[in-house]
Amino acid sequence: MKTILKAALFGASLCTLMGSSALAQNATFVLGSREVGAPSYNPIKATRLNAANTFIYDRMVIQDADQSFHGQLATSWEAAADGMSWTFKLRPNVKFHDGEPFNAQTIVWWVPKFKGTENAFMTDAIDKVEVVDDLTVRFVMKTPDPNMLFNMASTFMGIPSPKAFDALGDRYGVAGAVGTGPFKLESFTVGQQTVLVRNDAYNSASALSANKGPAKIARLTIREIAEDSTAFLELKTGGVDMLMSVPTDFLPRLSAERGTKVMTLPGTEVYYMPMNTAVEPFTDIKVREAVAFAVNQKEILDSLFGGVGAVANTFLISGLAESKVDPKLMISYDPSRSRKALDEAGWVAGPDGIRAKGGVKLQVKLWTQNGTEFKRVTEVIQAQLKAVGISADITIFDAATITAQYRRRTEHQLAVRVYSWANADILDWFHSGKRLGHPNHAMWNDPKSEELNEKAMKGSRTWDERVTNFRAYHEHLLSQFVFAPIYQPVQNFAFSEARLSMPAVIRGTRLQGQTVVDIEVKK
Amino acid sequence: MALFLIRRLLLLIPVFLAVSLVIFMIVRFVPGDPIDNLLQIGSTEEQKTAMIAAYGLDRALPVQYAIWLGKMLQGDLGEAIILRQPVSTLIAQNLPHSLILGSLALAFSTLVGIATGALAASFKDGWLDRLVMTLILLGSTLPSFWLGLLMILLFAVQLGWFPVSGARSWSALVLPVLTIGIGGVALVARVTRAAMIEIARKDFVTMLHAKGLPPLQIQLGHVLRHALLPVVTILSLRIGWVLGGAVTIEYVFARPGLGSLLITSLNQRDYPVVQGCLLMLAIAVILGTLIGDIVQAAMDPRLRETLR
Repeated sequence: MKTILKAALFGASLCTLMGSSALAQNATFVLGSREVGAPSYNPIKATRLNAANTFIYDRMVIQDADQSFHGQLATSWEAAADGMSWTFKLRPNVKFHDGEPFNAQTIVWWVPKFKGTENAFMTDAIDKVEVVDDLTVRFVMKTPDPNMLFNMASTFMGIPSPKAFDALGDRYGVAGAVGTGPFKLESFTVGQQTVLVRNDAYNSASALSANKGPAKIARLTIREIAEDSTAFLELKTGGVDMLMSVPTDFLPRLSAERGTKVMTLPGTEVYYMPMNTAVEPFTDIKVREAVAFAVNQKEILDSLFGGVGAVANTFLISGLAESKVDPKLMISYDPSRSRKALDEAGWVAGPDGIRAKGGVKLQVKLWTQNGTEFKRVTEVIQAQLKAVGISADITIFDAATITAQYRRRTEHQLAVRVYSWANADILDWFHSGKRLGHPNHAMWNDPKSEELNEKAMKGSRTWDERVTNFRAYHEHLLSQFVFAPIYQPVQNFAFSEARLSMPAVIRGTRLQGQTVVDIEVKK
Repeated sequence: MALFLIRRLLLLIPVFLAVSLVIFMIVRFVPGDPIDNLLQIGSTEEQKTAMIAAYGLDRALPVQYAIWLGKMLQGDLGEAIILRQPVSTLIAQNLPHSLILGSLALAFSTLVGIATGALAASFKDGWLDRLVMTLILLGSTLPSFWLGLLMILLFAVQLGWFPVSGARSWSALVLPVLTIGIGGVALVARVTRAAMIEIARKDFVTMLHAKGLPPLQIQLGHVLRHALLPVVTILSLRIGWVLGGAVTIEYVFARPGLGSLLITSLNQRDYPVVQGCLLMLAIAVILGTLIGDIVQAAMDPRLRETLR
């Protein structure tokens, strides 16, 4: 009897242990508040995707923080010397979550699917896809595209199962999403939560993951919380295990929490201030120079962002090779140079400290969009401009209205903005003469710039050539002072140390699928 | 009463048409457009023009309105430009959350508001009245956003009684309902109290006292009954508000709802969704007023007479 009792007790405790370990494999993450409300997991047609997209789908290649590329569904690749073809070797034995095989035929089906979508520009340069063998494809190009790997590494390049994609039609991405990634989609409620379960057959991890097999977390709930304070309190009370993105002003509070750890990744954002070169007084390069050198980047970094992140001295994030410009062209705070430029331009300081020329005061419009960080940065810039004798009046708009105002082309003068992009082609997006008003807020349309831009965008055959051409374009823009660089944030995320163990090194440009396969739930 | 009902219902048709026109125009007169939110870095002018045409935004406004109205009358609210789903699906997903939260909050503020208002009126100028009036003042001036966070700090973080956020269980409803309800309690209690004090001064109440009826019976059976007329008006006007006005609460508690859907879509200028949501809210206000009128007419024969 005693033995039976003992056996029963042992069995019961074993069951409890197993139960708790199964429970312990569950984790809940919270998406960054800017990603709340992404409407679908359809990478081909969506214009907004959240980070969980990379948990469901693999891409051909992925990008590391040092901007190098690593194979995921492609194991190796080669571009022809003239840039007119790319050959990709595909990873063998990969299956989609629905059991369908991944092979060369998948790519032949996939690339043309982008035609007619908002994402078409990423595959526009590809004329056709040829099958070399079952695991090798060749992209025949219309024009050389040295940016091919960057495009292939985009979140929009997650490869869906052709069978599931065609079967679900317009409902694909909402009613279901099937990829080859480490997690399968179980359920998705827009703006609320996504429930993912582990793909036990996962075998396509890249070199950026330490774990080459299936993920350690068995069941992952991704919640969407728009209010950062609420997300913080959820982490504090153990309601969730990780906040995938945390605003910098929460860092002191999070760091003070026991059991919570904050980690950072290099950022992909730059705060900057375009100057409308089509309206007075910014038609004068001296005034632009004065404004550019009046911005005290270090003061903003230290006083507003507690020293977290980095100052911006060019238009691009520091991780990009194209940001390594001639140091003489970098824009960093120099009040004496600023004052000298204004003197040379004929703006003389009045009794109230504000400069004037021909009886007209140096008073400009300084715009920004709503959001606490924007407001704070803009207020500091206003004070910094005043210190050199420029009076700036702040106006705050909502994001859609400010865009409509930019399109009127002559209404704005200065604006504090931020962009998020990890490629030098952002220079073209914001400064091409073809997009005056918006997104070319600086209204910059100068023949030499256009020529350098054209060469960088279309005249580069290889990646190295592209870097050289974009660097030249970047240097020219810096020399013309069409913007003032301000600040480069980092990406912060926070997690419960009691619940999760993170890999020692986080690789990749963002916290994505390649890191999540390495995250372990503590027993 | 039937004639009254029919007349009121027929009146709704021109109101509905006028409201739909105002909604359509307002959304389009606000600067900005949905295409800006669709454009990816790197896309060309031609792609943008094609997109504008694909969503019919290049047509004249009267044509766009006629198409929208025509489809709407057939029950089709259109397809969301940014969210890529039928607007009716989006509303169907969000409306139940708003209805549950709104109706519970309305019920809470009605019951507690009338009870506290009646108590305060019965003990007019006493310490209970002063206490209730102070609390009412506090309840109506506290911003709901801040009150919500305070509630979370106390009941979810400190005491751990309820979840911080989400809409995954019934317990997650308690804090948002209380947060919205408290503002309503203050309003209903104030109106109830004022109306009861006014009614208590009427001659018929003096007569009831003279007849020797117990004060409690007079207060509850006669004074409160008459005082409920303005309360019903206030409550019917709040029906539309509780559906769409809970945006900040939905935001703080990370709950889905019509208010959040409206604000998100408004920020992205997703015209079909904004129109659909505003239309739902307008219908809620119209129906709320209608229900208020019917209840009032049912409660007060004089009103039926004047409307005849």
